[in-house]
Amino acid sequence: MVGYILRRLLLALPVLAGISLLSFSLVRLVPGDTVTAMLGMNYTEEQAATLRRELGLDRSLAVQYGRWAARAIRGDLGASHFTGLPVTGAILERLPVTLQLAGGAVLLALLIALPLGVAGAARRGGAVDAAASGVGILGLSVPNFWLGTLLILFFSMTLGWLPSGGFVPFGIDPVENLRSMILPTCALAAAVCAVLVRMIRSSVIEVLDQDYILMAEAKGCSPARVVWRHALRNAMIPVITVLGIQVGYLLGGSVVIEAVFSLPGIGQLALQAISNRDYVLLQGVILFVGSAFLAINLVVDVLYAALNPAIRVGGPS
Amino acid sequence: MRAFTWSMVMANRLALTGGLILAFFAVAALFAPWLAPRDPYEIVPASMLATPGAEHWLGADQLGRDLFSRMMYGARISFHVGLVAVGIALTAGTLLGVAAGYLGGWVDAVISRIVDTLFSIPDILLALAVMAVLGPDLTNVMLAIGIVYTPIFARIARGSTLEVKQRLFIEAARSIGSTHATIVFRHILPAISAPLMIQASLSFAFAILAEAALSFLGFGVEPDTPSWGILLNQGKDLMDRAWWLAVFPGLAITLAVFSFNVVGDGLRDALDPRVVKGT
Amino acid sequence: MGHGLRFLAALLISALWLGCGRSGAPQGTSASDRAAAAGRTHELIIALQSDGVSLDPHTVSDAGSMRLIENLYSTLLRYGEVYGEVEPDLATSWTISEDGLVYTFRLRTNAVFQISGEVVTAEDVVYSLDRIRELGVRASHFEPVAKVTAPDSFTVVITLTEPFAALLSYLAHPMNAVVDRRVAADQGLQSKGGGSGPFRLERWRKDDRFRMVRHEAYHLDGRPRLDAVTFRPISDDTARITAMRNGEIDVILDLAARDIDRLDGMPGVTVTSVPGTFWEYLGLNTTRPPFDDVRVRQAVAWAVDREVINQLVKFGQALPLKGGPIPPNHWAHLDEVVYPAQDLDRARALLAEAGVAPEALKVDLLVGSDFAYQVQAAEVVKQQLRAAGLEVTVVSLESGMFFNRLGERDFDMALVGWLGFVDPDEWTYNLFRTGAPWNQQGFSHPDVDSALAEGRRLLDREQRKPVYDRVQRILTEQAPMVFLFINERAMAALDDVRGFEAHPTVTTLSLRDTWLER
Repeated sequence: MVGYILRRLLLALPVLAGISLLSFSLVRLVPGDTVTAMLGMNYTEEQAATLRRELGLDRSLAVQYGRWAARAIRGDLGASHFTGLPVTGAILERLPVTLQLAGGAVLLALLIALPLGVAGAARRGGAVDAAASGVGILGLSVPNFWLGTLLILFFSMTLGWLPSGGFVPFGIDPVENLRSMILPTCALAAAVCAVLVRMIRSSVIEVLDQDYILMAEAKGCSPARVVWRHALRNAMIPVITVLGIQVGYLLGGSVVIEAVFSLPGIGQLALQAISNRDYVLLQGVILFVGSAFLAINLVVDVLYAALNPAIRVGGPS
Repeated sequence: MRAFTWSMVMANRLALTGGLILAFFAVAALFAPWLAPRDPYEIVPASMLATPGAEHWLGADQLGRDLFSRMMYGARISFHVGLVAVGIALTAGTLLGVAAGYLGGWVDAVISRIVDTLFSIPDILLALAVMAVLGPDLTNVMLAIGIVYTPIFARIARGSTLEVKQRLFIEAARSIGSTHATIVFRHILPAISAPLMIQASLSFAFAILAEAALSFLGFGVEPDTPSWGILLNQGKDLMDRAWWLAVFPGLAITLAVFSFNVVGDGLRDALDPRVVKGT
Repeated sequence: MGHGLRFLAALLISALWLGCGRSGAPQGTSASDRAAAAGRTHELIIALQSDGVSLDPHTVSDAGSMRLIENLYSTLLRYGEVYGEVEPDLATSWTISEDGLVYTFRLRTNAVFQISGEVVTAEDVVYSLDRIRELGVRASHFEPVAKVTAPDSFTVVITLTEPFAALLSYLAHPMNAVVDRRVAADQGLQSKGGGSGPFRLERWRKDDRFRMVRHEAYHLDGRPRLDAVTFRPISDDTARITAMRNGEIDVILDLAARDIDRLDGMPGVTVTSVPGTFWEYLGLNTTRPPFDDVRVRQAVAWAVDREVINQLVKFGQALPLKGGPIPPNHWAHLDEVVYPAQDLDRARALLAEAGVAPEALKVDLLVGSDFAYQVQAAEVVKQQLRAAGLEVTVVSLESGMFFNRLGERDFDMALVGWLGFVDPDEWTYNLFRTGAPWNQQGFSHPDVDSALAEGRRLLDREQRKPVYDRVQRILTEQAPMVFLFINERAMAALDDVRGFEAHPTVTTLSLRDTWLER
């Protein structure tokens, strides 16, 4: 197991380097002079030179990258050029919002997808299965920003039950916090839920069709017990993998959802960085999000291996 | 194979429905200039926020422009963006994937790491970053979405190439003196086309979503362009007094994405012999 | 899967039904009841369009920051309740020398800085005015100032090189605040401020909440009346309105035109509006073709239909500008109509005269994406100019990029607005004078230059009026800017918010005197 984890870590390193190179080169790819783009209209040559020096733009690219990466490893992503505040601080300040949003969405998606997928698989072709298929397709087809818009229209504007946007930290007012997160969480969860329903349904079907399940049935286990105990456990393995991949969607989707619901999360930070031409901030956010995705998938891989011993022996392809 | 018969037929029926919807959209997109009841850019002060009815079938926006006509032109944009973006992703991805799978070694290692890297940045964020670098423009939207969806094609192409390569007939072909080009074009490409086609259909759905999301966030094309995402974005601000502006464009996006999804699923069921499941 | 389809149809239908649902006040209670029910009796919550970026009054230029800053600091003078008048703040009285060159201010002795706890003295005032002039952002406000001195701890003397009519207005500008020199030198003013105003910062969560609480040692007894004020940046118009309907916020500071009637009928909400000072225009780059030709500029001025733009984009709530930019409620208003209505024939004739063949001219119209209505206005302008034979491409840019290109004069035409503030000098001097910092149009006209200089030197309103009439007449005819409209300054507040005034400049200075009747 330790060997496997080490191997996965080793494979992740070049990707991490790739992410850092990608986010680093972003700032350099911007057409025109980054420095004048950052300074706006009122600046002196002196200010431009200072900024150029601060950004290290007067050095060779390799030196620039080396310095930037060395600082990034220590958690120092530089200072935003718009607010002057440290990028790492800005990211950490907004992280809880995005974490709550994404985590809530996964939880909600699982809560719906698990019973729906399993029940659908257990009685193929029934009404529940139809609902499962409907969710599986509709959830993937409805744009999350439209869903969010409709949720606001109905639950917030028409009924006035829930706030249409804004965020209240849990520590300040837990009830308000939950109320303000219900709609965005639902909007983000839909697509994840769709993928999970499909995945759970088909993998439960696959497992149910396998010999050992038929055997268990033959041995007199009740059908419910077979489905929930045996089938589900094995079906969870691919589901975990899918969840790992969905992290990417969740992080990207939260950019849109945070914009729709005015939530001060990482996604808003990224949008803000783009509209303010705050490239230091943008490269920090991309590096952070990419690394987070990588780390989560590493955990998922390890989890996957733990659940499925066959993988460890063969190693990943 | 017990899931084959019934659910396969049903899945195909769904795919057929999707296909029909797509055909409808395609006609609207292709012939919008002749079919649209009005000029989608024409500003008619008297029609400001007109409700859906005989005059404006799906209502009119704040500037009195006919929503139905604008959505027909919107289909044009969505399909255009989808075609070009998926074309870019398919071409680049196949090239990279086949190269990685066929050549192996360090080429494979480098390409695979690049693909992994692109994979770790969420699609919308990557597209936004590319747009930030390239600037807002329809061509750049297509390019950005193309870049974002290249890795998935590369990964599929690589996997399939590896599989095909290992099959015996390649060995046989090589032993009777085929060139690499023959192997790639005669054997590998035809063999991997099925999974790529399935992915293309699914990616078309994603591309339409991505274009809409980018326009929705305000990082797309000229603001009076009737892209579905822009229509939705403009409608959102007025939804409590003109629900049609937010509802119909969203419905169009949903229907288009739905159709590409079910067609993709149908293709998978029909083309991919390994998958034996309903839907 | 047949079920699947039906299920899908059912969902779509219910989605449609959601859409058609009529919106109304929920649960029969008014917004102010909801706010009261939430137990907020001494804290006011104000929605802002966007968060501020810094609390240093001398460097910021964005509206968000100004709203946060103006109640943290005090100024020498402050805007009076009557628009255009000033009243004492840190200065209790002042005298002006016979020749209009020496201003002597007496300061109050009980004003205290929030962070250092030190008394505000004349040295702080000198330091602040020097700092403003050094930092440059608003240095032009004090161009004719020769020196600022402090003969004793509570006397400030400002000596001018020539008479300067706008000086008192500029001293009352909330951003020309008196700052704590210890804090400015030590930790800087950006993140915590450093003033002596009625409120002090408690906590600032970017893009979420800016909470300030009463400054106990504030120099006016019984002020401020509120315990706390929280600013919440909510960029989405709809979200702001919904938040107000649900009693989550008490005040929407800057109501979009299309939302005025939406909120006006809402139970428990009062909409107040006054003629504002924010005007919008088409800026034409006079330094390069085609708009270096005055006839092409005039063609644009004739081709736009201000009434239609106002109706479609502003829901008829703005005032079309058919003459100069200064509005009718201002003493310097020019009461002349130059462009009474759209005249496409005239526009085409002017274009022909300038040698422009119909449809041959293609220009870019830049617009910032922050305000959706400005983008829509640009879309209307595009169609109107097309009718006159000008092909326009609308380019919507994020605000940073947008102002960047304006500053570099890298544009043909731009749709943008300017906040006029108080003195006519503020409306014109930095915009139209040759080489002025905000003269993005690159406009240069000797008569305008000399009139703007003269307008500053004259102290008497009666004498200044004809000067600014002349300036506005030339500007309207020369059309470096095609004036579109001036906006109502509309604000929505819950009924039980008292003493909070809608001010033409959008300032929130009256927060000091605001209370809640809950």
